[in-house]
Amino acid sequence: MLKRIWIIFLRDLKVNLKDFLSLYIIIVPIIIAILINIFTPSINDTTINLALLKCENQEMIDYLEQFAHIELFDTVEEVKKRVEKRDNIIGILPEAKKHYIMTQGNEPEVIVEYAKLLKTFYELDIKMDDTNAEIIEFGRKVPPLKKTLVNLSILFISILGGMLITLNIIEEKMDNTISAINLTPTTRLTFLIGKSILGIFFSVFGSIALIFITGFREINILKLLLVILISSILSILLGIVQGLTNDDVMNAAGSVKLLFLPLIGGVLAIEMLGDKWQKFFYWDPFYWAYKGNDLVLSGTGTWSELLIYAGIIFILSVIVYVFIAKSIRKGLE
Amino acid sequence: MISVKNLYHSYNNDKNYQVKNVSFEVNEGEIFGFLGPSGAGKSTTQNILTGLLRIQKGEAIVAGYNVRDMSKEMFNKIGMSFEQSNVYSKLTAKENLDFYRKLFDVPTRDSIELLKLVGLEGKENIKAGNFSKGMKHRLTFARSMINNPKLWFLDEPTTGLDPSIAANIKSIIKEKNREGVTVFLTTHNMFIADELCDRVAFIVDGEIKLIDSPKNLKLQYGDKLVEVEYVKEGEIITEKLSTVLEKDKKSLQNIISRYEIRTMHTKEATLEEIFIKVTGRGLI
Ligand SMILES: Nc1ncnc2c1ncn2[C@@H]1O[C@H](COP(=O)(O)OP(=O)(O)O)[C@@H](O)[C@H]1O
Ligand SMILES: [Mg+2]
Repeated sequence: MLKRIWIIFLRDLKVNLKDFLSLYIIIVPIIIAILINIFTPSINDTTINLALLKCENQEMIDYLEQFAHIELFDTVEEVKKRVEKRDNIIGILPEAKKHYIMTQGNEPEVIVEYAKLLKTFYELDIKMDDTNAEIIEFGRKVPPLKKTLVNLSILFISILGGMLITLNIIEEKMDNTISAINLTPTTRLTFLIGKSILGIFFSVFGSIALIFITGFREINILKLLLVILISSILSILLGIVQGLTNDDVMNAAGSVKLLFLPLIGGVLAIEMLGDKWQKFFYWDPFYWAYKGNDLVLSGTGTWSELLIYAGIIFILSVIVYVFIAKSIRKGLE
Repeated sequence: MISVKNLYHSYNNDKNYQVKNVSFEVNEGEIFGFLGPSGAGKSTTQNILTGLLRIQKGEAIVAGYNVRDMSKEMFNKIGMSFEQSNVYSKLTAKENLDFYRKLFDVPTRDSIELLKLVGLEGKENIKAGNFSKGMKHRLTFARSMINNPKLWFLDEPTTGLDPSIAANIKSIIKEKNREGVTVFLTTHNMFIADELCDRVAFIVDGEIKLIDSPKNLKLQYGDKLVEVEYVKEGEIITEKLSTVLEKDKKSLQNIISRYEIRTMHTKEATLEEIFIKVTGRGLI
């Protein structure tokens, strides 16, 4: 059985690497990742860039380095030149016993505020050990928008994985080759698993590539895998059904599009709606997948929390399966 | 090798059967032909025997397996060439066969060797999607013998092929049969049935009308067929009539007594003529 699953997977891979549409789908995660990086400040950039004088006292440099990138310059003139360059770097320069902030004027307000706060914290001698709520709030390294986008993209990638499965099944249907496979010792289950592997690999590797490119390198990959694999079940099932019930790619793509509704709905519910609305989205597997991913991405999810979410997603997928099992069986005949 | 009893099949699951009360046996080592016009129910029967269609009513044992609960292992022993060729358009001829080979648990034949056998040498690296209809058909045919089947189902194996290629396919079938392969062959071409089959079943509208060897059929009907040419109202008419069937005997008497006979001789019947005599239907 494993041998046949592998053979079917390799065939799909070979065909997909030569096919324009599937090749395009395969590189989508990379494109998304790059777009996210362009439009949101990356994790490493959230700690802002500061320009200081070399002769500044070492204690201050060490302190600020915990929270920001520091560039050192010999003279005030050089700092000024550096600040005037296009990127967002802020100068902190000594004046009498205190420091003043040098900006170019077009830096985002948050960054300027952040620099001001850092300067003030230093002057007030607030240490990491004294961590109070304020510092934690600021120490949140990942901008929420970026986390939301990455999370959404992971779910989107799993749907694309399902779509890849759909494409490969439609290929078999158009060529009428399922009947030929049925006349080998390959069972229907083996065939379906073989057809699903590519979609699963794509979801997993696509998501991991996305995570790495967007800089979420410190999260627990095993936890992420748990959520990705469990939420892929649904995409795989729907991918298979779409493949078996549609005869052409465009129709199938149209039906897959319907999946974006619960996806976006779940995400908006979590991000925008108040507590009393949440229960209306409990039926939505994407709702739970988004929650699970969020815990993983912010590095705050415990295994038991994630397992509960995974369990809920699994049960919801089983319910979906019960509804579509008949179409799958029929489609294979 | 195959035993079928009272097989019925209806695509709409109603009383309007496309296969009606079909029973027959195929012995080990023979070529058994299913001969009938298109739409007679030949492919339907074959698809039930290979498990592609779920059996509805009746019994069928194929290669020792009951079709009702067949084991997937059975497919190591059987091969089937489809009426409509079905190969991966996006894979080359060789890739198609190489992929299919690996799905079996038994020793399989070399892809290149098979392609040569069906006259596709030099075409192994061309995508099947760029093949002509006949080439695809040959690829499908080649694929059906990749696992050295003991029982070989062939659905219209030569339909739509050039005569020379059809001759090649026929000789491959004969050769395999000589090696001991049992063949279940479906066709609406009576030359093929005549030339290849040890026994044929005549099937019309889902019903088997007769099963016998072509030789017996000719003995039975052959010399008892009269071709008569006569003049009726100034027109020359030719008719073939049986000297056994009551209806034909009557009309022969009628012709002789009423019209001017030009020529009249007995004739060796072709399988097609016998088919028409027996079933009242042509093979088209
Ligand atoms: N998938 C199908 N659904 C409904 N009717 C079908 C289907 N396939 C074949 N038929 C009908 O069943 C009858 C027998 O078809 P078939 O077995 O293909 O005939 P043959 O192979 O002898 O040409 C025909 O009347 C055909 O129209
Ligand atoms: Mg047919």
